[in-house]
Amino acid sequence: MKGVILAGGSGEGLSPYTMKRQKETIGILGSAVLEYVINGLKKAGVKELIVVTNKERGYQVEEILSKNTEISFELVIQKSQGISGAVRDGLEKVDEDYALVAYGDIITTEDFYVNLMNAFLSSGDKSVFPLVPVSEGLTTYGLVKIEDNKIRIVNEGSTLALAGAYIIKKDYFDDILSYISELFKRDSARYFIWSGLWLDIGYPEDIIRAVEVLLSNKRNSYISETAEISKTAVLGKNIIIEDNAVVEDYSIIKGPAYIGKNAYIGSYSLVRDYSDVEEGAKIGAYCEIAHSIVGKDAEVDSKSYLTFTIVGDHAKIGASVVTLSYPYNKVIRGKVNKMGSLISPYSEIEAGKILQPGFRI
Amino acid sequence: MCGIIGITSLTDKNLAQITVSCLEKLEYRGYDSVGVASLQGSILEVRKAKGTVKEVVQKKNILSMRGNVFLGHTRWATHGPPSDYNAHPHTDCSNSIAVIHNGTLKNFKELKESLIALGHIFRSETDTEVIPHLIEEYRKKGFDTFTAFKKAVLDLEGSYAILAIVKGENRIYFAKKDNPLVIGMGEGTNFVASDIPAFLDYTKKVVIINDGELGYVTPTSIYIEDLRGNVIDVTKRIRIIDWDAQAASKEGYPHFMLKEIHESARAINDTINGLLSETELVEEITERLKGSDRIIVIAAGTSYHAGLYFTILLNRLGYTALPVIASEYYNINAKRGDSVIAISQSGETIDVLMGIRKMKEKGATIISITNVIDSAISRESDYKLYMRAGPEIGVAATKTFSSQLAVLLFLYAYLAKIDYKELLSAPEVIKNSISLGEGIAKKVGEELALQKSVYYLGRGLSLPLAMEGALKIKEIAYVHAEAYPAGESKHGPIALVEKGYPVVFINDGELTDLLENNLHEMKARGAKTYAISVNKRLGAETEILIKVDKDILSPFAISPIIQLIAYYASTAKSLDPDRPRNLAKTVTVE
Repeated sequence: MKGVILAGGSGEGLSPYTMKRQKETIGILGSAVLEYVINGLKKAGVKELIVVTNKERGYQVEEILSKNTEISFELVIQKSQGISGAVRDGLEKVDEDYALVAYGDIITTEDFYVNLMNAFLSSGDKSVFPLVPVSEGLTTYGLVKIEDNKIRIVNEGSTLALAGAYIIKKDYFDDILSYISELFKRDSARYFIWSGLWLDIGYPEDIIRAVEVLLSNKRNSYISETAEISKTAVLGKNIIIEDNAVVEDYSIIKGPAYIGKNAYIGSYSLVRDYSDVEEGAKIGAYCEIAHSIVGKDAEVDSKSYLTFTIVGDHAKIGASVVTLSYPYNKVIRGKVNKMGSLISPYSEIEAGKILQPGFRI
Repeated sequence: MCGIIGITSLTDKNLAQITVSCLEKLEYRGYDSVGVASLQGSILEVRKAKGTVKEVVQKKNILSMRGNVFLGHTRWATHGPPSDYNAHPHTDCSNSIAVIHNGTLKNFKELKESLIALGHIFRSETDTEVIPHLIEEYRKKGFDTFTAFKKAVLDLEGSYAILAIVKGENRIYFAKKDNPLVIGMGEGTNFVASDIPAFLDYTKKVVIINDGELGYVTPTSIYIEDLRGNVIDVTKRIRIIDWDAQAASKEGYPHFMLKEIHESARAINDTINGLLSETELVEEITERLKGSDRIIVIAAGTSYHAGLYFTILLNRLGYTALPVIASEYYNINAKRGDSVIAISQSGETIDVLMGIRKMKEKGATIISITNVIDSAISRESDYKLYMRAGPEIGVAATKTFSSQLAVLLFLYAYLAKIDYKELLSAPEVIKNSISLGEGIAKKVGEELALQKSVYYLGRGLSLPLAMEGALKIKEIAYVHAEAYPAGESKHGPIALVEKGYPVVFINDGELTDLLENNLHEMKARGAKTYAISVNKRLGAETEILIKVDKDILSPFAISPIIQLIAYYASTAKSLDPDRPRNLAKTVTVE
């Protein structure tokens, strides 16, 4: 079966960050969000991909795909509007009756896609839609209500949502949600509930939560032999330090934390509580990083404090920048009312700035 | 639900062994009786008996069977109790045709009558047996076997996955409608089975069969056509299973328990329809209950909670009803004039069995409610009622609890002169409750998973549900939980409550005002409060509120949520909710 991956959305919930970087290519624990999807599809036996993306940032998607040589792909630039248009454009390239459509911004385990394939095989020629339980930011999901063997798309009155991947029969349709409803009405579709790890990356809190959940799932520490760890550095539990990363004197990696390839942690800095310093990122001396993600090749100068913050690739944070995170009552999907800053790739924050909760640039 | 497997091969080597291994994988679909047919040229042999795969293989020496074609069936009784006669395969009058079937034929009575009128002799009470006789009849009329098979299938109304073999033919005929059936393509050996994991050890090449299609497989070929006679291009249907499909029987769900909670609506629907087909029996039982001195309800674990719910209702109606924990049966001095209601999913629970034996000796009338038809407990009962929840694989009872409540509330409706039709919307209530509550149940379950201990409080009819909620989270998430009558909580248990101590309130809407006082008591001591409420909001910090039209439907709104909370607490701790430690599905030792 062919896989159709949707990776062309505008990513409004993460704006303006997503003007610079396509959401599906954001790196989390060393892998782009899209790669979590690709690995899942590979595990489910998918060998060919059709990836729908946009003109502006399609090259970023292509870069990620090119890294994954075990699976062949065709890049499609989206012509029609919205998610319905993207699914239509993707399915147009499929020459079989069914395709596995996967939204490129879902982080889940590989078993999710395996179970989807299994559900399809046991359904006997029916489309299959996994559902997930949700409890925060309900209106931001495609909610459904269970009725008989069917589901009905609703705006409220449910805590079950479409899980951002499905096996669907190829047919003409204008609106994907109406088509899904129609398939259930015709008794040509089945659903199942996925209760495992599942995150839809739509808002900053989702990225912070993804780091938290993925690090929680990695129970053992891993320190690369090529990483340079100072003898005076203190390493806590549940940490990953990749190749050639440098952890300087008297710094503390308290964990759970991820330090990517070639990343640099300066002297006396503290990296703690579900933080992710991506490949090539540099954290100066005397910094504190908590519940935050510092993107590829980004720089954080000395004495800065990042909390519940996302720093985009190649961004520069000047010295003594403080991000505040509490209280912030506009968190849509988070379980805590805390949110630091969302700093777009390549942007710069002047030294000495104090950034208010929910700050975006 | 039943499990079926057919194998046709160029060689007879190990075919009996392979059939048995496939049957073992299919046992989750039914485990009350097992049968195997083997065919070698013109020798057709059928061996079948009541029991599990292991028992029947041993009892009937299945491994000694020889043939190039095998059929295997593991049954979950719906028509006719499990017995050697009712076990599949079924054969025609001349023992030339053997058939196995998974499904339900709606028009089997009419077909059976007309076949009997034509001189056919039936040996079982099953709906399936009409199929071999129909094929026989059409063959008698001069049709070739495949045409006869097609004509027989066209006569059937209902759901089916059918496999048929005929003396002298090295092939398996199949037909599918609304029940699963899939073909496995091996090297010189082909398989047809209810699911892929059944034959996954032997081939990973699969051909999908769609509803309304039929055909046949030989050791080296596959032929499929639809009911209009259009030939299907099999090559377009081939799929290579190059992923791990061992879990395919869960149909996508990560665990049987979650799948079974989601099957509750269907289970209740089938249970109520079953009761509607035997209203005379229900009336007879209710008359017996009305005339009883006392009504003793005996059960263990989850079934006890369903029983306790029923006794509260009976006591409110003015009956003298005693709930008895089965293992404490010796405390009860039953006598003539008492009626005993024994509730057990498996129908094999030893404590219940011991209890009813003792009470029967003393002259009490025994009424059983079991999920397994013709179980040990039902055989020893004067009246037998059944839930029709289908096989339950998860060790923790879920859909069977809701089905037990459905049976008991059906009886209650008769006793209280409430229109039983009020219960017909119970499946709808379950679905609505799951849709509204699963996301919140997950959140609550994840929070409770972090706790060492939790209280479940309720009043009146909410109390047995609180007890069931506490039992579920203990069983599968290993979180210590204690249920208490909310009003009694201040006579001791409240001493444990401190800041952050979790308290789950079950509020079925009847005694909400009183429960509110208890909620305030708990909140005042810093407890973290949760509520599952029906119709009236209680005011807990986290609350799931479900609306129902009729009071009798309230437990169906609550039961899936308490199960889901326990399920998500279990998965949050990375436990396997299907196989909790130290527990067995059926307790057969005292």
